[in-house]
Amino acid sequence: MAEEENQFEEFDQIDFLRDRHVRFFQRTLQVLPERYASLETTRLTIIFFALSGLDVLDALDVIEKNIMIEWIYSLQVLPTEDQSNLSRCGFRGSSHIGIPYSTKGPGVLHPYDSGHVAMTYTGLCSLLILGDDLSRVNKQACLAGLKALQLEDGSFYAVPEGSENDIRFIYCAASICYMLDDWSGIDIQKAIEYIRGSLSYDNGFGQGAGRESHGGWTYCAIASLCLMGRLEEALSQRELDRIRRWCIMRQQTGFHGRPNKPVDTCYSFWVGATLELLDVFQYTNFEKNRSFILSTQDRLVGGFAKWPDSHPDALHAYLGLCGLSLIGEPSLRKVHPALNITQRAFQHLQHLQQTWRGSAGSCSRQH
Amino acid sequence: MHGRIKIKSTAQQEEEKRKEREKKLKIYVSARDTCFSKRKEGILDEEALQVTQQLLSSNPDFATLWNYRREILMHLETVKEKDEVQKIYEAELAFLESCLKLNPKSYGSWHHRCWVSARLPRPDWSRELSLCDRCLSLDDRNFHCWDYRRMVVKVSGVPVAQELGFTDRLIGSNFSNYSSWHYRSTLLPLLHPESPESPSPSHEPPQPSPSHSPQTQSHRVCEEQLLKEYELVQNAFFTDPNDQSAWFYYRWLLGRAEREEMISCVYVSRDEERVAVAFSRPVNAQSVSLLLVLDGQPQKVEWKSVHPRFKHSPVCICDLPPGTISDITNEHNLTVHWTEKYTHRDCALYTGRTESWCRDSATDQELFRSELSVEKTSVLQSELQSCNQLLELEPLNKWCLLTIVLLMRALDPLGYEKETLAHFQTLKEVDPMRSAYYSDLCSKFIIENTVLKMEYAEVRVFSITDKNLTTLCHLDQLLLVTHINLSSNQLQQLPPQFAMLQCLEVLEVDNNRIENLEGVYHLPKLEEVLLKNNKISALADLQPLASCPKLRRLDLRGNPVTQAANIESELTALLPSVTDLLL
Repeated sequence: MAEEENQFEEFDQIDFLRDRHVRFFQRTLQVLPERYASLETTRLTIIFFALSGLDVLDALDVIEKNIMIEWIYSLQVLPTEDQSNLSRCGFRGSSHIGIPYSTKGPGVLHPYDSGHVAMTYTGLCSLLILGDDLSRVNKQACLAGLKALQLEDGSFYAVPEGSENDIRFIYCAASICYMLDDWSGIDIQKAIEYIRGSLSYDNGFGQGAGRESHGGWTYCAIASLCLMGRLEEALSQRELDRIRRWCIMRQQTGFHGRPNKPVDTCYSFWVGATLELLDVFQYTNFEKNRSFILSTQDRLVGGFAKWPDSHPDALHAYLGLCGLSLIGEPSLRKVHPALNITQRAFQHLQHLQQTWRGSAGSCSRQH
Repeated sequence: MHGRIKIKSTAQQEEEKRKEREKKLKIYVSARDTCFSKRKEGILDEEALQVTQQLLSSNPDFATLWNYRREILMHLETVKEKDEVQKIYEAELAFLESCLKLNPKSYGSWHHRCWVSARLPRPDWSRELSLCDRCLSLDDRNFHCWDYRRMVVKVSGVPVAQELGFTDRLIGSNFSNYSSWHYRSTLLPLLHPESPESPSPSHEPPQPSPSHSPQTQSHRVCEEQLLKEYELVQNAFFTDPNDQSAWFYYRWLLGRAEREEMISCVYVSRDEERVAVAFSRPVNAQSVSLLLVLDGQPQKVEWKSVHPRFKHSPVCICDLPPGTISDITNEHNLTVHWTEKYTHRDCALYTGRTESWCRDSATDQELFRSELSVEKTSVLQSELQSCNQLLELEPLNKWCLLTIVLLMRALDPLGYEKETLAHFQTLKEVDPMRSAYYSDLCSKFIIENTVLKMEYAEVRVFSITDKNLTTLCHLDQLLLVTHINLSSNQLQQLPPQFAMLQCLEVLEVDNNRIENLEGVYHLPKLEEVLLKNNKISALADLQPLASCPKLRRLDLRGNPVTQAANIESELTALLPSVTDLLL
């Protein structure tokens, strides 16, 4: 678009420090600072931010892909000999429980070992980004584990022993089914009802019925419906227009997640991608968005922070890049707005799915 | 990752911090190992509680440990006296409070507190409410706390009126409290519901859904309370017109009616022996339950969408078996039944007529007004007056402008057209960040008004020229249009939805930026396409036109494609029916 190019001519004075960001993610993959300790149980999500970040930067060559792939497979919760733990399968967040390292089955039974829906999601994404063919993923076990997490009201737990349940995990579940090209792990109708029930009076989505509208949950709602191929069935044109209105009002300079909250780098992706999925992202102001994101760039260590003059972290570093990618930053790869991986990784997935369908003959693809 | 601000520290401070961390690490590791070895042996005792406590103090997001704690507590319930259990759980609550002080946004901590509160033999709900009050006074947008409060209110049976009073206090002290307005929106319909006796137009029993949002369209607030709410909200936005909280709430209050689901038009044409059906909302042609009855006989027909890339569409078509209605001396009666909605529409095709239709106009359906038509005109008038008063004081306030536009469109879209367009101009100036969005919205309103004018004039000609139209919408309202003129606008494409214009004979779209003609697809009556000065650049872009059997005149002057070699012969091959080709 001609308008975009002009904007970049004027505002290129704010440099985008690509190499710093590459090194930031490299360090993330090597050692994490102490303040990430509380995220140990969800370490795989941080790996995903770093890997996908490097992918967006077109810098995956700086890491050793095979070692990463092996490590991710070691996090797979595999079925035991007698298959009694199928409803607990998936991927775990890290080795914190203490299961002995193994990338092969059969699984080892442990009372507190189970998959976590967000780890299964980010684990699969990470494998795709690294170019793996998912042949060592036990798909049936993952789907059985997923099925066990869905509640009567359509939402999902994160883990089979129970946790909070809300729309975030519906998004993880939808992404997993989409990637594995098999929707048997989710009752789509119930999930859609839960999503619809989460639409609030002001036309954003809350975490569940009656809860406050929020940019992150709105992304989960819209992206899930897009992945399921049901966006226009689940929501009327009028509702979609109202949702567009709520979302487009989130831009202040960058974006915030809720009215009267400060702008935060990550919402440039959560809200930006939602607007992209709803076909109205081109109506946002790219230059102000870019200026804000770059104001949170850490010029010394790389990465992006939530706000200016704050410490950068892996999540905001990754989503800041995705936000820039949405507005067409020249050196960045394009991101698939619903699946939150690069278009390159997405094409790899499509190619894999074609070979699966070719050999299997039938497909239960949702469209 | 919750927004850590940068603070510089000296070398000595750094060293002290490092030593502190070493100490903590040693303790953490030994505690963790103790914990897991105990659990391995299936030990569920108080020492285990202590050890997990240590670990969770430094890492409240270690979900497995909360689970372990829950197991221990449940086990203790079975071996201890009720009073002891009460004490244990109260200690648990105290521990949780210290965790929440450290990290008020930890999912694990709040979830565990929910669980504990539910199991406490003698819960103290007022204590829980006061915890919420304290937490919200530190951060009134903490949704974890709001969600917890909602649970406490529900379980302990706090009267809705009391909670409404709580929101009164919060809003009274700070109009910007978006979370309070939100909470209010969930309480209001519970306390002052509109009469539940309103009949469901589709004759279906209302489906109670446990996960349904309480503010959805079917839950309206009674009028008396609404008027009081309007006053409250007006106070808010008169005090601070730039705060969006009250405006969003206000828009919800003004109400929204959902249209009843019905067949809005049935059209039948003898020439193509085709039936087109328009619905009040998009349907899936393959799965919609439709029954076509012709002269009392059910017909076996295949319903399809107007374009393969447009599966979920408000218009479906079907072809009748050849010879069924082609004899112009015969009269026919058609009925289309939308069986799952218990509704139908009749259409009579008279002798001597080549086509016929039956429809509810957009005016009848109050199509573009029904956003707010639930409210009485008098109420909307008085609200419009108030907002106009505010606009005099704050002429550049975008929320005010937007709300006025909404109210005007609800009251009289055609009557207020001039003011609406002027307000849009102002909006683009005062909120330039969203000017492209306002252009899009304005295009939509112009289209709506043109549809209304067309109906008022009772013609089948639709014309919007030189209005900076960037986008097309409501194309399902143009099913009967024979002539359309969209010249001199900013359109870039005629998308698949355009194929809903099943009666179109003449398409004028000169002086735009059209690159894509996908929607000009199988339009059975289309004879003329005028595309002067657009951006058609390749022969492939014109492919859809080959599906229109009656196309005889095509004007492509001023398009890049005319510069291609052999274009004339290629076009003759692609579009043999065209006799009048202008390059």
